[in-house]
Amino acid sequence: MKVPLRWLEEFVSLDVSVEKLVELLDLSGTKVEAVTKPSGAIAGVVVAQVLEIVPHPDADNLTLVDVTTGDGEPQRVVCGARNFAAGQRVPLAQVGARLPQMEIGERKIRGEVSRGMLCSSAELGLSSDHSGILVLPDDSGLGVDIVSLLGLDDTILDLEITPNRPDCMSILGVAREVSALLSNELKRAPIELETDPELSSPVRVEITAPDGCPRYLARYVEGVEVRPSPAWMTARLLSVGVRPISNVVDVTNYVLFELGHPLHAFDAATLPDQQIVVRRAKTRERITTLDGHERLLHPDDLLISGKKKPLAIAGVMGGSDSEVGPHTRNVIIESAYFHPTSIAFTSRRHGLRTEASARFERGADPEIVDTAAARAAALMQRFAGGRVAAEITDVYPAPTPRNEITLRTARAGQVLGTSLASERQAAYLRALEMGVTQADGVLQVEVPSFRHDLRREIDLIEEVGRLAGFDSLPATLPPGRTGRLERDQAIERSLRRLLADLGLFEAWTGSFMSEADLERLGVTADQPAAKMVRLANPMSEDEPAMRTSLLPGLLRAVALNERQRARGVALFELARVYEPTVEQLPHEALIVAGVMSGPRRRGTWIGSERAWDFFDGKGLVQVVFSALGLPEPSFSPVQGRPFHPTRAAAVAHLDVTVGAVGELHPKVLAGWDIERASIAFELALGPLLAALPAKKKVEELPRFPSNLIDVAIVVERDVPARAAERVIRDAGAPELAEVDLFDVYEGDQVGPGKKSLAFALELRAVERSLPDAEATAVRDRIVAALTEQLGAELRG
Amino acid sequence: MSDLRTRLEEARAEGLAKIETAGDLASLDEARVRTLGRKAQLSQVRSGLGKVDEDERKEIGKLANDVQQQLEEALRAKRELFEAAELEQRWERERVDVTLPGRVPPLGTIHPLTKTIWEIVDIFIGLGYVMAEGPEVELSLYNFDAINTPADHPARSAQDTFYIEGTDEAVCLRTQTSPMQMRIMERQSPPVYVVVPGRVYRRDELDATHLSSFSQLEGLAVDEGITMGDLKGSLSAFARSVFGNDLEVRLRPHYFPFTEPSAEMDVECFVCRGSGVSCRLCKGEGWIEVLGCGMVHPALFEWVGYDPERYSGFAFGMGIERIAALAHGVSDIRHFYDNDLRFLTQFRGSA
Ligand SMILES: [Zn+2]
Repeated sequence: MKVPLRWLEEFVSLDVSVEKLVELLDLSGTKVEAVTKPSGAIAGVVVAQVLEIVPHPDADNLTLVDVTTGDGEPQRVVCGARNFAAGQRVPLAQVGARLPQMEIGERKIRGEVSRGMLCSSAELGLSSDHSGILVLPDDSGLGVDIVSLLGLDDTILDLEITPNRPDCMSILGVAREVSALLSNELKRAPIELETDPELSSPVRVEITAPDGCPRYLARYVEGVEVRPSPAWMTARLLSVGVRPISNVVDVTNYVLFELGHPLHAFDAATLPDQQIVVRRAKTRERITTLDGHERLLHPDDLLISGKKKPLAIAGVMGGSDSEVGPHTRNVIIESAYFHPTSIAFTSRRHGLRTEASARFERGADPEIVDTAAARAAALMQRFAGGRVAAEITDVYPAPTPRNEITLRTARAGQVLGTSLASERQAAYLRALEMGVTQADGVLQVEVPSFRHDLRREIDLIEEVGRLAGFDSLPATLPPGRTGRLERDQAIERSLRRLLADLGLFEAWTGSFMSEADLERLGVTADQPAAKMVRLANPMSEDEPAMRTSLLPGLLRAVALNERQRARGVALFELARVYEPTVEQLPHEALIVAGVMSGPRRRGTWIGSERAWDFFDGKGLVQVVFSALGLPEPSFSPVQGRPFHPTRAAAVAHLDVTVGAVGELHPKVLAGWDIERASIAFELALGPLLAALPAKKKVEELPRFPSNLIDVAIVVERDVPARAAERVIRDAGAPELAEVDLFDVYEGDQVGPGKKSLAFALELRAVERSLPDAEATAVRDRIVAALTEQLGAELRG
Repeated sequence: MSDLRTRLEEARAEGLAKIETAGDLASLDEARVRTLGRKAQLSQVRSGLGKVDEDERKEIGKLANDVQQQLEEALRAKRELFEAAELEQRWERERVDVTLPGRVPPLGTIHPLTKTIWEIVDIFIGLGYVMAEGPEVELSLYNFDAINTPADHPARSAQDTFYIEGTDEAVCLRTQTSPMQMRIMERQSPPVYVVVPGRVYRRDELDATHLSSFSQLEGLAVDEGITMGDLKGSLSAFARSVFGNDLEVRLRPHYFPFTEPSAEMDVECFVCRGSGVSCRLCKGEGWIEVLGCGMVHPALFEWVGYDPERYSGFAFGMGIERIAALAHGVSDIRHFYDNDLRFLTQFRGSA
């Protein structure tokens, strides 16, 4: 909302600096987003009259325009626009003039000398309207500086108006705030309107949709002359960002910005029997709006209609058929109050936001309807002539009652944390034009019709608080409780730190996913990951659903880094996936996943380069379990994408699969344009966190040293190492404390189809040291079991 | 008797000479055997002492001790010399070029958004809050109705909010972390001191300051006698802790449907310190908006069955990407989701 200070000063005197005014507005809830002074960038532009327009000899799209500034010789300029005629007045940027985007010098355009330039309102920095030269009113004095003519030396505040305060979307509304802030009286000039008691208004109004239109008022003006508005009005409309059109239309816009109430002017001639019906649209009914678009109406759309044809979409935009044009003689001024919800839905349905709809959908003032119409009629009479009928058609069957709210002034103190005298609170509310009666620490408040946001006591407390100023509140701290992270939250943090300390970079990737992602991952329809929570209204085809895997996001990031020539990429993410359930809401499961690609260790002067491999991935999974204090998970071969068919394992905790780790299938990598072999893991954290033991008690430390013995065996190549370990553990109990596989060998020394496995065993007896003889016996027991169960031979 | 004395003096002189001429540790060892060993002159003199009369034995014995001490001292000195020299050689053999690269264990990073959340959560834990998390796929009931959003509020439209297919707009992707206020109050009675970080979703077109999926942190404090002054004190403490203890902080009235009174909190621009002129960060305003807040609207208490006459509270919400971007000077928040290692590596240490 743009507020030129001179316009504001018509309603309230501003006896403070601009800086102070900005601070007061900021700190009372009307944030000033910008302070501009258009004149700073403009010099040397004056009013000129067009004498003659002749074609440019060398360019069809240019003309040569002779203009005069009132004294001296006519000047010739080259011009590209054609929206003006001889006799009209226009802004001339003379040679040496300065505009916001350029400086004007004498120059040749296609062989013709141009001594200056005619300006559009965009070139003057007034709007983004490049459509033609700004045609000035005929009463603009020749040679007058455009800055003073248009009041461009004014200061303009650009205000952010929050959606609860439509009453501030006007000069009057902002003036009311400023008047309360400065304790300066709100000035309202009386409306000088001469009505004609002889002239009867032919307008008849019928409201068939009173829920959408509680009040409709029409005034009749006969015999107007449509022409450009006076310079000052043109300038004010430009300064708030509105394109001037004609005196009649400009007046309705002027009143909209001045009083905040949207009006509409109809050409009375387009309503043959002067009958206005406010109704809902019929099915498949259409209207062509002022912007030239034909619109198919919805049965919930509220219309202003003649007997048959619609004239306007109520409170949003007029129809082109009933538009006021150059030949309009008689005008019907509409001033109505439309229901916010109805306007909001219509505006959104048609993607049509106008100054009018923005105010109606937030809540206009039903009581200003007559004042606004009178103000418009008075201005129209002054600038377009004509007679205004004294008779007013005002249909307002059920006047909206004013809200009454009780405010306990002590309660205001409790909420705000500071005590404020009842008198002071009453004064704040009165300054905002509320009716206040005071008794026993209680204020009875009558809420004015323009403040739809004030519904209950707390709303008044806010008004008191913001006028007292939040800076006057004490800064205190509430007692608080025992603040701490819960166990799982702390574990989640340490897990992120662990993976980062192990060399992985934490990634944050998007929560969405697509079928294409599933397909590239090789997820088949029967896999749980194929069932996605789908969006009804995705932003794009690439993101139609919630993700069921973290891998697509990580793979995208790996590919990006590979393109940036990162040497090795190791990323992890700890985030949610979304699994549909039979309930209304899906299950949001916490997952930790990683993708590691390229060299794990770069070649250095000490050691050679080594790429990430399966056992690095497996090791990360093992260390995660170990860090969580969980027993070693089991790993079993797993087939199927996204993994390499023979280099991947399912990860299980106590026979429940919680994830997988493996080398990614080359086809999957190709799907994301990743060139280097990559390792991935994905683990569901929920079951792991649920499996965590309560606080552990320590075990007594063994008091005697253990015996360390190595055993090397030769077995068939396809015997899994894990099977041998299990036999050793079973046979070695109870003396066996630890088993470590430290060597695997295949080759000449053991013969074809065989491999050797070497284990380090740690043996221990309870409460005594284990004699060598007993240790040997345990070892023999283990070897015998290996031989019997796996056909193992002891290796020499 | 003088014979014994002479022999001892000879032993001294010979011994010292041998020690002196020893060229390495081995010959020094040999010298030790020759001068102090059982067969050495000194030992032989000592073993012959029994035949000497008592007065003289004392005197000769003293001399023998003196000779032995002197020889031992000479041996020790010589040995130290050799050992020092040997060590010197060893150090030279073992010298490394300390400017060669070290064997660096791989080191990743915690993502800047995670770090930002941790930092903020920790500040509030210090003020006595706990942390909670809630569903991202949320009932529209909680995301809108429960927190006082009018039925015709534009944010509800399918243009602004993601809805889940087949739910007739009953289930959405939460557009804010605020619905967790209601879930928390529904399941526990006051006092409540909680912060809720999490992802939220809005159908915003992507640009340098907008993402369709981003993160917020919500806070809620409900207790008997909580005032707007408590809000001001708590959030000022937070903002100064994140952005700088010497910065001015202000509360500016604003509007949110779920708080009343509502405010935005500004921190003095830490680039221009409020001087404003041509500052790119604050665009000349001198202030930077960091969060939205307000006193919990009584309608929310009524929804969950808290007595609004007995309890009061405040709530606040902030954008994690925005806070992280401000704190680290990140000009485009899309960087946070690209996971470019050249970006992430910069967040090592306390950065
Ligand atoms: Zn600044």
